[in-house]
Amino acid sequence: MTDVIIKIAIVDPSSIIRSGLSVILKRLQGYHVHTFELNSLDFLASNIRTQQPDLVIVNPTYWGVVDIENLKQLTKNSVIRFFALITAAVDEKMLEAYDEKIHLYDDVESVKLKLDSVFDVLESENEESQTLSPREKEIIVGVVKGFTNKEIATNLFLSTHTVITHRRNIARKLEIHSTAGLTIYAIVNKLVELNDIKQR
Amino acid sequence: MQHKFTPRTRMFNLINDDASLLSSVSRFGISLGLGEKTVEEACKLNNIDCTTFLAVMNFLAEENVQPDDLVEKISIETVIGYLKNAHVYFLNYKLPIIREKLNDAVSETEHLHSYKVVLLKFFDEYVEEVAKHIEYEDKTVFPYVINLLHGVRNPAYRIADFEDHHTDVDSKIAELKNILIKYHPTEEVNYRLNDVLLELLWCEKDLASHNMVEDFFFVPVVELIENKLSNTTMA
Repeated sequence: MTDVIIKIAIVDPSSIIRSGLSVILKRLQGYHVHTFELNSLDFLASNIRTQQPDLVIVNPTYWGVVDIENLKQLTKNSVIRFFALITAAVDEKMLEAYDEKIHLYDDVESVKLKLDSVFDVLESENEESQTLSPREKEIIVGVVKGFTNKEIATNLFLSTHTVITHRRNIARKLEIHSTAGLTIYAIVNKLVELNDIKQR
Repeated sequence: MQHKFTPRTRMFNLINDDASLLSSVSRFGISLGLGEKTVEEACKLNNIDCTTFLAVMNFLAEENVQPDDLVEKISIETVIGYLKNAHVYFLNYKLPIIREKLNDAVSETEHLHSYKVVLLKFFDEYVEEVAKHIEYEDKTVFPYVINLLHGVRNPAYRIADFEDHHTDVDSKIAELKNILIKYHPTEEVNYRLNDVLLELLWCEKDLASHNMVEDFFFVPVVELIENKLSNTTMA
Protein backbone atom coordinates (compact mmCIF):
# COMPACT_ATOMS: atom_id res chain seq x y z
CA MET A 1 0.00 0.00 0.00
CA THR A 2 1.37 3.36 -1.00
CA ASP A 3 0.76 6.46 1.08
CA VAL A 4 -1.21 9.24 -0.52
CA ILE A 5 1.08 12.25 -0.68
CA ILE A 6 -0.73 15.54 -0.09
CA LYS A 7 0.35 19.11 0.37
CA ILE A 8 -1.79 21.06 2.78
CA ALA A 9 -1.81 24.79 3.48
CA ILE A 10 -3.14 25.67 6.94
CA VAL A 11 -4.41 29.23 7.21
CA ASP A 12 -5.36 30.44 10.67
CA PRO A 13 -4.29 33.39 12.80
CA SER A 14 -3.55 31.15 15.79
CA SER A 15 -0.16 29.45 15.71
CA ILE A 16 -1.31 27.02 18.42
CA ILE A 17 -4.17 25.86 16.23
CA ARG A 18 -2.01 25.71 13.08
CA SER A 19 0.75 23.71 14.73
CA GLY A 20 -1.72 21.42 16.49
CA LEU A 21 -3.58 20.64 13.29
CA SER A 22 -0.30 20.12 11.48
CA VAL A 23 0.79 17.51 14.06
CA ILE A 24 -2.54 15.68 13.76
CA LEU A 25 -2.38 15.63 9.97
CA LYS A 26 1.12 14.18 9.98
CA ARG A 27 -0.07 11.32 12.17
CA LEU A 28 -2.76 10.16 9.76
CA GLN A 29 -2.30 6.63 8.57
CA GLY A 30 -2.12 6.16 4.83
CA TYR A 31 -1.09 9.76 4.19
CA HIS A 32 2.24 11.41 3.73
CA VAL A 33 1.39 15.01 4.55
CA HIS A 34 3.41 18.16 3.91
CA THR A 35 1.97 21.21 5.63
CA PHE A 36 2.51 24.91 5.14
CA GLU A 37 1.32 27.29 7.80
CA LEU A 38 0.10 30.74 6.91
CA ASN A 39 -0.86 33.27 9.56
CA SER A 40 -2.88 35.45 7.23
CA LEU A 41 -4.78 35.31 3.97
CA ASP A 42 -2.34 37.75 2.34
CA PHE A 43 0.10 35.15 1.13
CA LEU A 44 -2.41 32.42 0.32
CA ALA A 45 -2.73 33.37 -3.35
CA SER A 46 1.02 33.31 -3.99
CA ASN A 47 1.30 30.16 -1.89
CA ILE A 48 -1.28 28.42 -4.05
CA ARG A 49 0.57 29.45 -7.20
CA THR A 50 4.03 28.35 -6.05
CA GLN A 51 3.26 25.35 -3.91
CA GLN A 52 0.17 24.00 -5.64
CA PRO A 53 -1.29 22.53 -2.45
CA ASP A 54 -3.88 19.77 -2.80
CA LEU A 55 -5.83 21.06 0.14
CA VAL A 56 -6.27 24.39 1.89
CA ILE A 57 -7.63 24.34 5.44
CA VAL A 58 -8.68 27.84 6.27
CA ASN A 59 -10.39 29.80 9.02
CA PRO A 60 -13.59 30.74 7.15
CA THR A 61 -14.55 33.85 9.12
CA TYR A 62 -11.56 35.53 10.72
CA TRP A 63 -10.77 37.66 7.68
CA GLY A 64 -14.34 37.95 6.41
CA VAL A 65 -15.55 35.78 3.56
CA VAL A 66 -12.82 33.82 1.77
CA ASP A 67 -13.16 34.07 -2.00
CA ILE A 68 -12.78 30.38 -2.71
CA GLU A 69 -13.97 30.46 -6.32
CA ASN A 70 -11.26 32.96 -7.13
CA LEU A 71 -8.54 31.03 -5.30
CA LYS A 72 -9.47 27.84 -7.14
CA GLN A 73 -8.62 29.53 -10.43
CA LEU A 74 -5.00 29.92 -9.37
CA THR A 75 -3.89 26.33 -9.80
CA LYS A 76 -3.32 25.13 -13.31
CA ASN A 77 -3.71 21.42 -13.52
CA SER A 78 -4.80 19.96 -10.22
CA VAL A 79 -8.02 20.17 -8.31
CA ILE A 80 -7.59 22.08 -5.10
CA ARG A 81 -9.89 21.39 -2.13
CA PHE A 82 -10.93 23.74 0.62
CA PHE A 83 -11.81 22.72 4.17
CA ALA A 84 -13.22 25.19 6.66
CA LEU A 85 -11.47 25.14 10.02
CA ILE A 86 -14.23 25.91 12.47
CA THR A 87 -13.17 27.31 15.83
CA ALA A 88 -16.30 29.31 16.69
CA ALA A 89 -19.99 29.47 15.80
CA VAL A 90 -20.33 30.12 12.08
CA ASP A 91 -23.27 30.93 9.83
CA GLU A 92 -23.75 27.77 7.72
CA LYS A 93 -24.27 29.96 4.65
CA MET A 94 -20.63 31.02 4.79
CA LEU A 95 -19.52 27.40 4.48
CA GLU A 96 -21.33 26.41 1.34
CA ALA A 97 -18.30 26.76 -0.92
CA TYR A 98 -16.17 24.43 1.20
CA ASP A 99 -15.64 20.74 0.45
CA GLU A 100 -15.58 19.78 4.13
CA LYS A 101 -15.46 21.23 7.63
CA ILE A 102 -12.99 20.42 10.38
CA HIS A 103 -14.09 21.32 13.88
CA LEU A 104 -11.79 22.29 16.71
CA TYR A 105 -12.80 19.20 18.69
CA ASP A 106 -12.63 16.63 15.88
CA ASP A 107 -10.61 13.57 16.78
CA VAL A 108 -7.90 12.12 14.56
CA GLU A 109 -10.18 9.44 13.17
CA SER A 110 -12.83 11.87 11.98
CA VAL A 111 -10.23 14.12 10.40
CA LYS A 112 -8.98 11.07 8.52
CA LEU A 113 -12.48 10.19 7.36
CA LYS A 114 -12.93 13.71 6.04
CA LEU A 115 -9.71 13.49 4.06
CA ASP A 116 -10.68 10.03 2.82
CA SER A 117 -13.93 11.46 1.53
CA VAL A 118 -12.17 13.78 -0.91
CA PHE A 119 -8.89 12.06 -1.66
CA ASP A 120 -9.01 8.88 -3.62
CA VAL A 121 -7.49 6.53 -1.11
CA LEU A 122 -9.46 3.56 -2.36
CA GLU A 123 -7.14 3.26 -5.29
CA SER A 124 -4.08 2.84 -3.11
CA GLU A 125 -5.79 1.05 -0.27
CA ASN A 126 -6.97 -1.93 -2.21
CA GLU A 127 -3.89 -4.06 -2.14
CA GLU A 128 -3.27 -3.93 -5.85
CA SER A 129 -0.04 -5.60 -6.79
CA GLN A 130 2.85 -3.33 -7.56
CA THR A 131 4.09 -5.68 -10.22
CA LEU A 132 3.69 -4.59 -13.78
CA SER A 133 1.58 -6.26 -16.42
CA PRO A 134 3.35 -7.50 -19.58
CA ARG A 135 1.77 -4.63 -21.49
CA GLU A 136 3.12 -2.09 -19.02
CA LYS A 137 6.57 -3.59 -19.38
CA GLU A 138 6.36 -3.22 -23.16
CA ILE A 139 5.49 0.41 -22.68
CA ILE A 140 8.43 1.02 -20.35
CA VAL A 141 10.73 -0.46 -22.97
CA GLY A 142 9.32 1.97 -25.54
CA VAL A 143 9.71 4.96 -23.25
CA VAL A 144 13.23 4.02 -22.25
CA LYS A 145 14.26 3.54 -25.88
CA GLY A 146 13.18 7.10 -26.50
CA PHE A 147 9.96 6.61 -28.45
CA THR A 148 7.18 9.16 -28.15
CA ASN A 149 3.76 8.19 -26.80
CA LYS A 150 2.46 8.28 -30.35
CA GLU A 151 5.20 5.99 -31.65
CA ILE A 152 4.65 3.55 -28.80
CA ALA A 153 0.93 3.56 -29.54
CA THR A 154 1.52 2.80 -33.21
CA ASN A 155 4.03 0.04 -32.48
CA LEU A 156 1.74 -1.70 -29.99
CA PHE A 157 -1.52 -1.05 -31.88
CA LEU A 158 -2.92 1.06 -29.05
CA SER A 159 -4.40 4.52 -28.87
CA THR A 160 -2.19 7.32 -27.57
CA HIS A 161 -4.72 7.82 -24.81
CA THR A 162 -4.26 4.22 -23.65
CA VAL A 163 -0.48 4.63 -23.63
CA ILE A 164 -0.82 7.72 -21.46
CA THR A 165 -3.09 5.84 -19.05
CA HIS A 166 -0.56 3.00 -18.85
CA ARG A 167 2.23 5.48 -18.19
CA ARG A 168 0.29 7.05 -15.37
CA ASN A 169 -0.29 3.62 -13.80
CA ILE A 170 3.38 2.74 -14.18
CA ALA A 171 4.46 5.96 -12.48
CA ARG A 172 2.09 5.26 -9.61
CA LYS A 173 3.08 1.63 -9.15
CA LEU A 174 6.83 2.21 -9.32
CA GLU A 175 6.92 5.71 -7.85
CA ILE A 176 9.12 6.68 -10.75
CA HIS A 177 8.07 9.63 -12.87
CA SER A 178 11.04 10.46 -15.06
CA THR A 179 12.35 8.68 -18.12
CA ALA A 180 15.82 8.54 -16.58
CA GLY A 181 14.30 6.81 -13.55
CA LEU A 182 12.42 4.32 -15.69
CA THR A 183 15.67 3.58 -17.49
CA ILE A 184 17.27 2.51 -14.23
CA TYR A 185 14.28 0.30 -13.47
CA ALA A 186 14.40 -1.26 -16.93
CA ILE A 187 18.11 -2.02 -16.67
CA VAL A 188 17.82 -3.52 -13.18
CA ASN A 189 14.94 -5.73 -14.31
CA LYS A 190 16.64 -6.62 -17.58
CA LEU A 191 13.85 -5.23 -19.74
CA VAL A 192 16.48 -3.54 -21.92
CA GLU A 193 20.21 -3.66 -22.55
CA LEU A 194 22.48 -0.67 -22.36
CA ASN A 195 22.91 -0.82 -26.16
CA ASP A 196 19.17 -0.42 -26.69
CA ILE A 197 19.26 2.97 -24.99
CA LYS A 198 22.36 4.33 -26.61
CA GLN A 199 20.98 3.93 -30.12
CA ARG A 200 18.84 7.05 -29.86
CA MET B 1 6.16 39.02 17.37
CA GLN B 2 8.42 37.02 19.67
CA HIS B 3 10.90 34.81 17.83
CA LYS B 4 13.06 31.89 18.78
CA PHE B 5 16.41 33.60 18.24
CA THR B 6 17.26 37.18 19.15
CA PRO B 7 20.36 39.38 18.62
CA ARG B 8 21.52 38.30 22.07
CA THR B 9 21.28 34.54 21.44
CA ARG B 10 24.71 32.97 21.57
CA MET B 11 25.75 31.58 18.20
CA PHE B 12 26.73 28.37 19.94
CA ASN B 13 23.18 27.89 21.20
CA LEU B 14 21.68 28.68 17.82
CA ILE B 15 23.70 25.99 16.06
CA ASN B 16 23.40 23.56 18.95
CA ASP B 17 19.64 23.96 18.97
CA ASP B 18 19.22 22.95 15.35
CA ALA B 19 22.28 21.58 13.58
CA SER B 20 20.61 21.92 10.20
CA LEU B 21 21.03 25.69 10.59
CA LEU B 22 24.79 25.27 10.35
CA SER B 23 24.79 25.22 6.55
CA SER B 24 22.71 28.41 6.51
CA VAL B 25 25.03 30.08 8.98
CA SER B 26 27.95 29.28 6.66
CA ARG B 27 26.10 30.74 3.69
CA PHE B 28 26.05 34.07 5.45
CA GLY B 29 29.83 33.82 5.63
CA ILE B 30 30.08 32.99 9.32
CA SER B 31 32.58 30.25 10.14
CA LEU B 32 33.02 27.99 13.13
CA GLY B 33 35.17 28.90 16.13
CA LEU B 34 32.51 31.22 17.42
CA GLY B 35 33.46 31.26 21.09
CA GLU B 36 30.86 32.98 23.24
CA LYS B 37 29.81 35.41 20.52
CA THR B 38 26.20 36.45 20.29
CA VAL B 39 24.35 36.65 16.99
CA GLU B 40 24.74 40.42 17.04
CA GLU B 41 28.49 40.25 17.61
CA ALA B 42 29.07 37.58 14.98
CA CYS B 43 27.07 39.54 12.41
CA LYS B 44 28.94 42.75 13.15
CA LEU B 45 32.28 41.02 12.88
CA ASN B 46 31.37 39.56 9.49
CA ASN B 47 29.61 42.66 8.18
CA ILE B 48 26.23 41.01 7.92
CA ASP B 49 22.88 42.69 8.43
CA CYS B 50 21.79 41.17 11.73
CA THR B 51 18.03 41.67 11.18
CA THR B 52 18.17 39.76 7.92
CA PHE B 53 20.33 37.01 9.37
CA LEU B 54 17.92 36.50 12.25
CA ALA B 55 14.87 36.67 10.02
CA VAL B 56 16.23 33.81 7.89
CA MET B 57 17.30 31.75 10.92
CA ASN B 58 13.94 32.18 12.62
CA PHE B 59 12.14 31.46 9.38
CA LEU B 60 14.04 28.17 9.07
CA ALA B 61 13.85 27.20 12.75
CA GLU B 62 10.18 27.96 13.25
CA GLU B 63 9.18 26.44 9.91
CA ASN B 64 6.41 27.82 7.76
CA VAL B 65 6.33 31.27 9.24
CA GLN B 66 5.81 34.27 7.04
CA PRO B 67 8.21 37.15 7.47
CA ASP B 68 6.03 39.59 9.41
CA ASP B 69 6.62 43.12 10.57
CA LEU B 70 10.29 42.66 9.74
CA VAL B 71 9.65 42.67 6.02
CA GLU B 72 10.36 46.40 5.81
CA LYS B 73 13.76 46.02 7.44
CA ILE B 74 15.07 43.04 5.47
CA SER B 75 18.23 43.72 3.47
CA ILE B 76 17.45 42.12 0.16
CA GLU B 77 21.12 42.34 -0.92
CA THR B 78 22.01 40.21 2.08
CA VAL B 79 19.35 37.65 1.15
CA ILE B 80 20.62 37.52 -2.43
CA GLY B 81 24.18 37.02 -1.20
CA TYR B 82 22.94 34.20 1.01
CA LEU B 83 21.02 32.52 -1.82
CA LYS B 84 23.98 32.84 -4.21
CA ASN B 85 26.28 31.19 -1.68
CA ALA B 86 23.77 28.36 -1.38
CA HIS B 87 23.84 27.96 -5.17
CA VAL B 88 27.63 27.70 -5.20
CA TYR B 89 27.50 25.24 -2.32
CA PHE B 90 25.07 22.88 -4.06
CA LEU B 91 26.51 23.09 -7.55
CA ASN B 92 30.24 23.30 -6.93
CA TYR B 93 30.56 21.43 -3.68
CA LYS B 94 27.77 19.15 -2.48
CA LEU B 95 26.48 17.60 -5.68
CA PRO B 96 29.95 16.77 -7.11
CA ILE B 97 30.82 15.08 -3.81
CA ILE B 98 27.65 13.01 -3.82
CA ARG B 99 28.32 11.97 -7.41
CA GLU B 100 31.81 10.86 -6.53
CA LYS B 101 30.58 8.87 -3.56
CA LEU B 102 27.82 7.31 -5.61
CA ASN B 103 30.39 6.34 -8.21
CA ASP B 104 32.58 4.73 -5.57
CA ALA B 105 29.74 2.97 -3.79
CA VAL B 106 28.46 0.97 -6.76
CA SER B 107 30.97 -1.68 -7.66
CA GLU B 108 32.14 -2.05 -11.21
CA THR B 109 31.38 -5.74 -11.69
CA GLU B 110 30.25 -6.94 -15.07
CA HIS B 111 26.78 -7.50 -13.73
CA LEU B 112 26.36 -3.97 -12.38
CA HIS B 113 28.05 -2.08 -15.15
CA SER B 114 24.89 -1.09 -17.04
CA TYR B 115 23.15 -0.22 -13.80
CA LYS B 116 25.95 2.09 -12.80
CA VAL B 117 25.92 3.82 -16.17
CA VAL B 118 22.21 4.66 -16.07
CA LEU B 119 22.30 5.54 -12.37
CA LEU B 120 25.03 8.12 -12.90
CA LYS B 121 23.24 9.36 -16.00
CA PHE B 122 20.17 9.96 -13.89
CA PHE B 123 22.22 11.86 -11.36
CA ASP B 124 23.88 13.99 -14.06
CA GLU B 125 20.50 14.87 -15.54
CA TYR B 126 19.34 15.89 -12.11
CA VAL B 127 22.38 18.11 -11.58
CA GLU B 128 21.77 19.67 -14.98
CA GLU B 129 18.25 20.58 -13.89
CA VAL B 130 19.51 22.12 -10.68
CA ALA B 131 22.11 24.05 -12.66
CA LYS B 132 19.46 25.40 -15.04
CA HIS B 133 17.31 26.52 -12.16
CA ILE B 134 20.25 28.22 -10.48
CA GLU B 135 21.45 29.90 -13.67
CA TYR B 136 18.01 31.38 -14.22
CA GLU B 137 18.04 32.87 -10.74
CA ASP B 138 21.60 34.17 -10.93
CA LYS B 139 21.25 35.64 -14.42
CA THR B 140 17.63 36.80 -14.52
CA VAL B 141 16.00 37.02 -11.11
CA PHE B 142 18.78 38.54 -8.99
CA PRO B 143 19.81 41.25 -11.50
CA TYR B 144 16.13 42.18 -11.84
CA VAL B 145 15.81 42.54 -8.07
CA ILE B 146 19.07 44.52 -7.77
CA ASN B 147 17.76 46.96 -10.40
CA LEU B 148 14.52 47.15 -8.48
CA LEU B 149 16.46 48.24 -5.40
CA HIS B 150 17.91 51.09 -7.44
CA GLY B 151 14.42 52.10 -8.43
CA VAL B 152 14.68 50.67 -11.95
CA ARG B 153 11.78 48.46 -12.85
CA ASN B 154 11.92 46.16 -15.85
CA PRO B 155 8.29 46.41 -16.98
CA ALA B 156 8.50 43.09 -18.83
CA TYR B 157 9.22 41.12 -15.68
CA ARG B 158 7.56 40.48 -12.35
CA ILE B 159 8.78 38.38 -9.46
CA ALA B 160 5.59 36.35 -9.93
CA ASP B 161 7.20 35.06 -13.17
CA PHE B 162 9.91 33.58 -10.99
CA GLU B 163 7.31 31.56 -9.16
CA ASP B 164 6.21 30.06 -12.46
CA HIS B 165 9.76 29.00 -13.28
CA HIS B 166 10.39 27.62 -9.87
CA THR B 167 9.71 23.96 -10.45
CA ASP B 168 10.59 21.69 -7.58
CA VAL B 169 14.19 20.72 -8.12
CA ASP B 170 14.08 18.61 -5.01
CA SER B 171 11.44 16.19 -6.34
CA LYS B 172 13.94 14.45 -8.59
CA ILE B 173 16.41 13.77 -5.82
CA ALA B 174 13.52 12.20 -3.93
CA GLU B 175 12.99 9.93 -6.94
CA LEU B 176 16.64 8.86 -6.92
CA LYS B 177 16.27 8.07 -3.22
CA ASN B 178 13.16 5.98 -3.96
CA ILE B 179 14.93 4.13 -6.75
CA LEU B 180 17.89 3.24 -4.53
CA ILE B 181 15.64 2.07 -1.70
CA LYS B 182 13.34 0.01 -3.91
CA TYR B 183 15.35 -1.17 -6.88
CA HIS B 184 19.04 -1.23 -6.05
CA PRO B 185 20.21 -4.70 -7.14
CA THR B 186 22.29 -5.57 -4.10
CA GLU B 187 23.51 -8.93 -2.94
CA GLU B 188 25.14 -7.69 0.22
CA VAL B 189 24.89 -4.86 2.71
CA ASN B 190 26.67 -1.85 1.32
CA TYR B 191 27.54 0.68 4.02
CA ARG B 192 29.05 3.08 1.55
CA LEU B 193 25.83 3.15 -0.45
CA ASN B 194 23.89 3.74 2.77
CA ASP B 195 26.12 6.73 3.44
CA VAL B 196 25.38 8.12 0.00
CA LEU B 197 21.68 7.58 0.58
CA LEU B 198 21.80 9.43 3.90
CA GLU B 199 23.73 12.24 2.30
CA LEU B 200 21.12 12.41 -0.45
CA LEU B 201 18.37 12.64 2.14
CA TRP B 202 20.18 15.46 3.88
CA CYS B 203 20.75 17.25 0.59
CA GLU B 204 17.08 16.82 -0.33
CA LYS B 205 16.05 18.50 2.92
CA ASP B 206 18.62 21.23 2.49
CA LEU B 207 17.42 21.99 -1.04
CA ALA B 208 13.80 21.94 0.07
CA SER B 209 14.45 24.50 2.80
CA HIS B 210 16.50 26.58 0.35
CA ASN B 211 13.45 26.63 -1.92
CA MET B 212 11.26 27.54 1.05
CA VAL B 213 13.43 30.58 1.71
CA GLU B 214 13.08 31.58 -1.93
CA ASP B 215 9.33 31.06 -2.15
CA PHE B 216 8.17 32.26 1.23
CA PHE B 217 10.81 34.70 2.28
CA PHE B 218 12.53 36.19 -0.75
CA VAL B 219 9.57 36.40 -3.14
CA PRO B 220 7.13 38.11 -0.71
CA VAL B 221 9.76 40.71 0.23
CA VAL B 222 10.46 41.44 -3.44
CA GLU B 223 6.74 41.63 -4.18
CA LEU B 224 6.49 44.28 -1.50
CA ILE B 225 9.25 46.35 -3.11
CA GLU B 226 7.57 45.93 -6.49
CA ASN B 227 4.27 47.21 -5.15
CA LYS B 228 5.90 50.12 -3.41
CA LEU B 229 7.72 51.10 -6.57
CA SER B 230 4.65 50.98 -8.78
CA ASN B 231 2.76 53.04 -6.20
CA THR B 232 5.37 55.78 -6.16
CA THR B 233 5.67 55.91 -9.95
CA MET B 234 1.93 56.24 -10.20
CA ALA B 235 1.80 59.00 -7.60
